Amino acid sequence: MKRVIVLVVLVLIAVVSSVITPLVISIEVPRYLKDLSRYYIINTIKDTASPEAVAAIVWDYRGLDTVYETLVLYLAIVGGLTIFMYTGELARKTPVGLTLLSRTATKIITVLISTVSAAIAFHGHLTPGGGFPGGSALAVATMLIIPVFSINTLLEKGVTSTKLVAIRGVSLTGLGLVALLPVIRGLEIVTNQRFYPGYLDGFILSGSISLYNLLEFLAVASGFTAVALYLSIPEEYYKGGDNA
Amino acid sequence: MLEEFTFTLLISVLAINFLISIYGIVYRRSLTKKLISLTILSDTVFVAIILAGLIYTYPIVPPVYSDMQGGEAEFLATHASDPLPQALVLTGIVIGLATNSLIAFGIIQTYRLTGTIDARKAVKTLLEEGAEY
Repeated sequence: MKRVIVLVVLVLIAVVSSVITPLVISIEVPRYLKDLSRYYIINTIKDTASPEAVAAIVWDYRGLDTVYETLVLYLAIVGGLTIFMYTGELARKTPVGLTLLSRTATKIITVLISTVSAAIAFHGHLTPGGGFPGGSALAVATMLIIPVFSINTLLEKGVTSTKLVAIRGVSLTGLGLVALLPVIRGLEIVTNQRFYPGYLDGFILSGSISLYNLLEFLAVASGFTAVALYLSIPEEYYKGGDNA
Repeated sequence: MLEEFTFTLLISVLAINFLISIYGIVYRRSLTKKLISLTILSDTVFVAIILAGLIYTYPIVPPVYSDMQGGEAEFLATHASDPLPQALVLTGIVIGLATNSLIAFGIIQTYRLTGTIDARKAVKTLLEEGAEY
């Protein structure tokens, strides 16, 4: 009851302040884009060969920022995995999982999520989306498998954290190479259109944007799946109990 | 008037959200609740950044061309939402997820070392037992 009163008071404060504020000070509601954003929207096809302005900003106009953000992503996940380092073997128990109904539903949903995440990532230079959301969506599929089936099911299928960390390392190295390659020809780092082809035999590649999306998709998906795997290792293994 | 009202309402709700999350981070003792408050705070900031790219016009469309000839440039320049805040938030969410998982790992490790996720008790336990890590 007390919480409901607090909620009502907060909503009232929000409504009252939003009624009073425009009367006291004149608030300008934004009606036009800023010049910089207008430039991005008008020139995105010419500059980056990508019809999607957001992808163009992420991997071309502000490409260097995104490379450094990927570095933050890399270090955060490496930090987490280092704290949770577990080198021993997991005992292969028979997976039990939830009921037949939820397992069947999860099988269908997992296939759907994987397909959609691939579409989000590989069409990232054409439609809203890209490597970051696509990879997160794919990681959700494995996070769904762990509670419904079991962590052992994933391990039996060969989805181990060693492999995932390896995939992540390879794709992040590839990402770094894609960013560094233009330097060979004396161009700036993270150059797109002057080095990579925008079109290939009629297909729109948008230069390096589709490459970045593909590699970022792999890196984000494998990184978050590794995190999920480590988080679901039973506690007794770390304590060195009887089951370990 | 209605546009000003909705715009100010959004900002007011964001301000209240911001205060709630700051309260949670500073005042709550449980580390998990601190983490939840931190995610509320980061989501509030993301909504605020998206709000900075909002324009009041009709129709409003995503900043995506439907053909490669660029014929819609003038229409998009006046009717598309701002792509720059969207690009910043797109990466920000994923980085936030990664750092949040790092904090979650840290909280679990704190629980293993001290047997509690109460921030003050954990510090007390560590000081009494001496650092073994």
